[in-house]
Amino acid sequence: MTAQDIIRTRAKELLESGEVATFIGWEAGRFENQTTPLVITDAADADKLVFNEYCVNTLAKYVRDVIPRGKVGLVVRGCDSRGIIRLVADKVIKREDVYLIGVGCPGIKDRKTGEMLKKCAECRHNNPPEFDEMAGEVAEKPVAVERFAEVAEVEAMAQPDRSRYFESVYAKCIRCYACRDVCPCCTCRECFVDQRRENWVGKQNNVAENRFYGLTRVMHIGDRCIECGECERVCPMDLPLMKLNRKVIQDMNDLFGEFESSLSLEDTTEPLIEYRLDDVEEFM
Amino acid sequence: MSRIGVFLCYCGSNIAGTVDVEAVAEMARTLPDVVYVETNKYTCSDPGQEGVKNAIIEKGIDRVVVGACSPRMHEPTWRKLLADTPVNPYMLEVANLREQCSWVHKDKEIATEKAKDLVKMAVAKVARLQPLHSIEIPVHKKALVIGGGIAGMQTALDIADAGFQVTIVERETSLGGKMVMLDKTFPTMDCSACICTPKMSEVGNHPNITVKSYSEVENVSGYIGNFEVTIREKAKYIDYNLCTGCGACETKCPQKVTNDFEQGMAQRTAIYKMFPQAVPSKPVIDAAHCRKLQEGKCGVCAKVCPTGAINYEDEDKLTTETYGAVVFATGYKLIDWKPLYPEYGGGKYEDVITGLQFERLVNASGPTEGHILRPSDGTEPKSVVIIKCVGSRDPNKGKAYCSRACCMYSAKHAHQYLDKVPDGRCYVFYMDVRTPGKGYDEFYMNTLQDGAQYLRGRVSKIYRENGKLICKGEDTLTSQQVTVAADMVVLETAMVPADGIDELAAKFTVGRDADSWLVEAHAKLRPVETNTAGIFLAGTAQGPKDIPDSVCQAGAAASKVIGLLNKDKLMSNPQISHVNETLCQGDGACVGICPYGAISIVEKQFRENSRKVVRPVAEVNPGLCQGCGACTVTCRAGAMDLLGYTNESIMREVDALCQW
Ligand SMILES: Cc1cc2nc3c(=O)[nH]c(=O)nc-3n(C[C@H](O)[C@H](O)[C@H](O)COP(=O)(O)OP(=O)(O)OC[C@H]3O[C@@H](n4cnc5c(N)ncnc54)[C@H](O)[C@@H]3O)c2cc1C
Ligand code: SF4
Ligand code: SF4
Ligand code: SF4
Ligand code: SF4
Repeated sequence: MTAQDIIRTRAKELLESGEVATFIGWEAGRFENQTTPLVITDAADADKLVFNEYCVNTLAKYVRDVIPRGKVGLVVRGCDSRGIIRLVADKVIKREDVYLIGVGCPGIKDRKTGEMLKKCAECRHNNPPEFDEMAGEVAEKPVAVERFAEVAEVEAMAQPDRSRYFESVYAKCIRCYACRDVCPCCTCRECFVDQRRENWVGKQNNVAENRFYGLTRVMHIGDRCIECGECERVCPMDLPLMKLNRKVIQDMNDLFGEFESSLSLEDTTEPLIEYRLDDVEEFM
Repeated sequence: MSRIGVFLCYCGSNIAGTVDVEAVAEMARTLPDVVYVETNKYTCSDPGQEGVKNAIIEKGIDRVVVGACSPRMHEPTWRKLLADTPVNPYMLEVANLREQCSWVHKDKEIATEKAKDLVKMAVAKVARLQPLHSIEIPVHKKALVIGGGIAGMQTALDIADAGFQVTIVERETSLGGKMVMLDKTFPTMDCSACICTPKMSEVGNHPNITVKSYSEVENVSGYIGNFEVTIREKAKYIDYNLCTGCGACETKCPQKVTNDFEQGMAQRTAIYKMFPQAVPSKPVIDAAHCRKLQEGKCGVCAKVCPTGAINYEDEDKLTTETYGAVVFATGYKLIDWKPLYPEYGGGKYEDVITGLQFERLVNASGPTEGHILRPSDGTEPKSVVIIKCVGSRDPNKGKAYCSRACCMYSAKHAHQYLDKVPDGRCYVFYMDVRTPGKGYDEFYMNTLQDGAQYLRGRVSKIYRENGKLICKGEDTLTSQQVTVAADMVVLETAMVPADGIDELAAKFTVGRDADSWLVEAHAKLRPVETNTAGIFLAGTAQGPKDIPDSVCQAGAAASKVIGLLNKDKLMSNPQISHVNETLCQGDGACVGICPYGAISIVEKQFRENSRKVVRPVAEVNPGLCQGCGACTVTCRAGAMDLLGYTNESIMREVDALCQW
């Protein structure tokens, strides 16, 4: 049986037995090299589920919307699984609210070029760290590209160039907030950009306000980012968002020791908000 | 629409000398919602304050900005003033035109511009403030003192004499701390036990004091006026109601154990009293070494005890009580020098001893009955080297700080040695001699006259050769290498905080410095208070000091406690954090950051989208929160808001500053 077969069978069983109220996976799109996320509540729809190398979307965050209906079953690869760990750690959901069918991920292809997606080429954990059962074997994926290569590129720039570079980056942002909406860490009940009374960020679309939005977001997600790369993938203006995310991660590595977020439910440390007496005080 | 009154102070020429106050007033009149602006030579003076009150009534002012000195100075004055008016005391913002403006600038033009900005910000902020109200907190009229050394005992006595109940928790089997181990005390050389043991029995017999020996704090919750503390009294295996302290058991116990009170230089039995004058004056069984408790055989003590007080089945007892105030008097211990100084033998030479060992050697009730005999062979050392600052003032190996008492007690040790061994020679290696204190320098001079030879420099190496301890060092005054062949070496080692202080202080959320000394609220102005209201410091728990200073601080801490316990109720500070439950996700990011443990996550029920949901949210304990604001900046969702410093009011301040 292929992973897809197992997923279909199990989804059907889970829905039929009432163990889960909804099941989340992917269904085939209009074209062969396209899929869209699928949320089903009827066991009869289980045969619509697919699993192939074009399952682009990360699923974890959809859970939040359907959880009021009851327990949710979903397919998890490395990124989906870490997203779930994050949601649990941030108290958005409880672990017992979800049933996870793990699947090894060989890396997802870009449907236009057929090449492996950037986020997948960078991915360091293609197999799910947290699951209830596995559909098939763990998968091999080509070794991830160097984690901080992009950061090094920016850091190599001279200061004025760097500042011009980021200006050009944030000049493009249209503040659609797609990056926020897709992110499994961006789960605040009301995002700071929407808090009108405080008015943390101006509504104007200009470089200064856009950059303020981007930098604040990166600090908010910095020590929780699971490096799924979804924000960068969904950005309609192609902002290189992972550069800043990884810059924060690199700094945390330097300050607090090697860090990777949400690899297990037992360790969901957030170095930026943790306070210890022996913390480094490099700025003192 | 708010009606803001702005009151600007000249502070004589303190502010007006550098800031054009009238120009600031002119600008203030143009600000939105400002209905009245007044300048005054001394706003804080009686006529100044009257003027403010009158203006509030006449102009119907509902929020006040004072542009004057630091709020640290007069904010309480203004709040008190407002309490007498219809304006809520928290509808106030102080623009600091003195400490943060006139005093730090020279150029009048620039200082005036800055003063305008400060006033603009204050006006913008005050417009967003909400009235706040204090709540009454009851005060439990009972104090807890942790640690029964001289500092703890003095604090307890002073509080008890004022008529309040005190509990002392001492983890050893007796009160007394280090002082009762000492022989004589500088500078007057009175016998330490003779002045310490009467205090111990006074404490033991005081009707208002409960001594819980062999006990430690297990758990704490609550806040000023209401600390709920659970104390663990370790099993003593002896019923203190029956035991008369006759000591028959001790004479018969066959098990010998190293005697810590004698600094390892003698032995005691498994059932033991720390020392003859111990308070409480009854023994305990050291379970780890008792044959009966370990192997089930023996039981001699139970046979000889005439009152049947021995109970091998005894267990730890937990009791919980509520206290209004807590004093930390946990003292110090000596640094473990052995791993730090392998060049001094790292502990392999028996005759390289610590200051406390020396105290026991010269003490008439010590293991040698007061004869100075070296531990290795019991002979009288004819030459002694004393090394100061071992582990102190040595950031590379030990601690960067000075342990304060050692200059004096090393002079004392030299004097005592030369007194008891008149034909002996005594060399003191020192970095500096620091003798500030009444009669202290005179004491040191006398020691020099006794013949003690002071050599300025550190000893770099000690090794044994032909039965002598060869000390090699440099006399930095003559730049010469010196070698002294000593019979005994005394290391005056650094004081470090008592074991377990980090865990204990964390339970009470009391701050520690990098070396784990407990931190006072203000180094100069609040030396015995901690940053946690209702918790005070006495003695060496706060940092190295000698007995006179420890006793002084104990009295000071006691007076603070008495002041607190004298009140029936406290008014809470309403400037505390508030959770906006609509925004709060209950992730608990704020919980770990709160230095006072004021936040917990609770499950609450809400109606959301016409559905009942139960979800976790943060909850702030108003008694514990000190309004530091750490949580507000930690909360990504902006759900934590510090009343009086709300996110919104601060954002409007920033906006005001950024507009021109
Ligand atoms: C060798 C030497 C000689 C000295 N000579 C002199 C001198 O001549 N004159 C002078 O003025 N000073 C002298 N000093 C300094 C003097 O010892 C101290 O200033 C004084 O003892 C400090 O008293 P304290 O109560 O603060 O601390 P301590 O005496 O250390 O008392 C603290 C008490 O708290 C208890 N405790 C600790 N932690 C806990 C806990 N978690 N729970 C319950 N109980 C706890 C301890 O068991 C102890 O009984 C000397 C010091 C040394 C080392
Ligand atoms: S990579 Fe982007 S979307 Fe993914 S967790 Fe990090 S910030 Fe969120
Ligand atoms: S997705 Fe891209 S354009 Fe949209 S807000 Fe994020 S960074 Fe800006
Ligand atoms: S107040 Fe903020 S940090 Fe605290 S639990 Fe709520 S959302 Fe998290
Ligand atoms: S303001 Fe927040 S962090 Fe500070 S004491 Fe109060 S609850 Fe704790």
